[in-house]
Amino acid sequence: MRSLTSAHAACLWVPLFPLRCEERRHPALAHIPTALLFPTDTKRLWLVSASARRAGVRSGMTVSQAIGLCPALTLREPDPVHYDEAFTRLLLALEAVSPVIEPAELGRAFVGVDGLDRLHGGPERQLDLIARTAGGEVWSCGSRHLRLGWARGKFLAWVAATRARPGAPLVIRDDESTEFLRQQPVAVLPIDGDTHRRLRQLGFETLADVARIPEPAIVSQFGQEGRRAWRLARGLVSEPVTGRKRPEPIVAGFDFPTPVADRAMLAHAIDKLLERALAHPRRTGWRVAGVRVRADLEHGSSWMTAVTLKDPSADPEHIAAPLRTRLDAAPPSGAVEHLEVEFVAFAPGTGELQLFARDAESAARAGRRHALTAAAREIRTRFRQSRLFHVVEVQPWSRIPERRYALIDFEP
Amino acid sequence: MVAHSRTPLRVDRLRALNTPRPAQVTVDDRGNPVSVDDTGVEEVLETWRIDDEWWREPIVRRYADVVLVGGRHVVLFEDLRTRTWFAQMP
Repeated sequence: MRSLTSAHAACLWVPLFPLRCEERRHPALAHIPTALLFPTDTKRLWLVSASARRAGVRSGMTVSQAIGLCPALTLREPDPVHYDEAFTRLLLALEAVSPVIEPAELGRAFVGVDGLDRLHGGPERQLDLIARTAGGEVWSCGSRHLRLGWARGKFLAWVAATRARPGAPLVIRDDESTEFLRQQPVAVLPIDGDTHRRLRQLGFETLADVARIPEPAIVSQFGQEGRRAWRLARGLVSEPVTGRKRPEPIVAGFDFPTPVADRAMLAHAIDKLLERALAHPRRTGWRVAGVRVRADLEHGSSWMTAVTLKDPSADPEHIAAPLRTRLDAAPPSGAVEHLEVEFVAFAPGTGELQLFARDAESAARAGRRHALTAAAREIRTRFRQSRLFHVVEVQPWSRIPERRYALIDFEP
Repeated sequence: MVAHSRTPLRVDRLRALNTPRPAQVTVDDRGNPVSVDDTGVEEVLETWRIDDEWWREPIVRRYADVVLVGGRHVVLFEDLRTRTWFAQMP
């Protein structure tokens, strides 16, 4: 199988991506001072528009401080799911340019460009294509906020993107990279704030200042972080863009104790199976783009329906809605004995998702699942069989009490 | 369980929960339960009847949701085909 990596990278960066999403939904916001509140603390500002910054408003301020400085400030509550969906659409559009796409954070992604010269031409033409793809119909706020850099390795491409002006992509060819890096401020180094502060206090202003110091000297002061900064400053680190392989299909299914023909019951069962499949750790960071429902019917026949989601989603309601429509339009021809939901296609989410509630829950679930796996293994070792069960809803509305819930083996 | 589609499917086997147990129930002249296994019935909260699955093994039951003396809450049903009583959790 071909490796999904690329030594040369194009970095696409939409600064203040969530604000741009809001401006796209409400174009009037582009002309007035605007700020988004933190997703986790609605008393503080998260992102601030350029016109609000000119009025002295800064990220992290409290709402009352900000209003005191800029009474005309428009505040908006964040909509992380919308921003994530917008970024996912952007990533999907970029897949038309290159199969190697690596999202870095909301609004910033790397595109692997190795081999694209034969398809699209040199770096400038590649960046033009990326700008048109990202600034076209999919990301309709246009390319005026888009910054693009092209270089060998992700770090250099990212620095190039930060130095590029909107509408004027910056290409750093391999023979220019050392000189380009030397001129950059230490602020471009991806190191923690404390190390940045100490570097500035010691008089380091550019990467040339860092590269001039012997490696052992900087390592003795700053440890591993210092070593990484020194190697980046000297251009010794060139991390390739790594495309993510899509996960294998995820399946959730169960047998009905007695065959079920009622459509409401089947719809409820599909909802439950979707929740279980979405909770699978392999799904974290991915949105579902294609889903299939299969059923084994009484008397040996079967039923199947498949849906491709126009907007890939991790929201069970969003995934269930077209399945319910299919179920109503073409229901199974007999009572269902076994029902199965299968996610067959995925679209990338972002690492940023971990910041937000839905995927923070996924991360927490993964942690709990790890602990449960260890506990279940211990129990199986001691008792030679699993004695752990889930209680699952089967027909919670049933007037026959033993049909409402059932036990299922817990096998993490 | 969520299974990997490219490995042989481990079909989920459900185990029954809250299966009914046989009970000694006495009823008054209107057929309402007055005692369960020698414990008196304090109140009958609800009664209902189920006629289901006539196409295979019919289920014909008369249910009573009752509170026993002492506060325990149980669901009783009489299997109208065999005239036997069962108790289970609500």
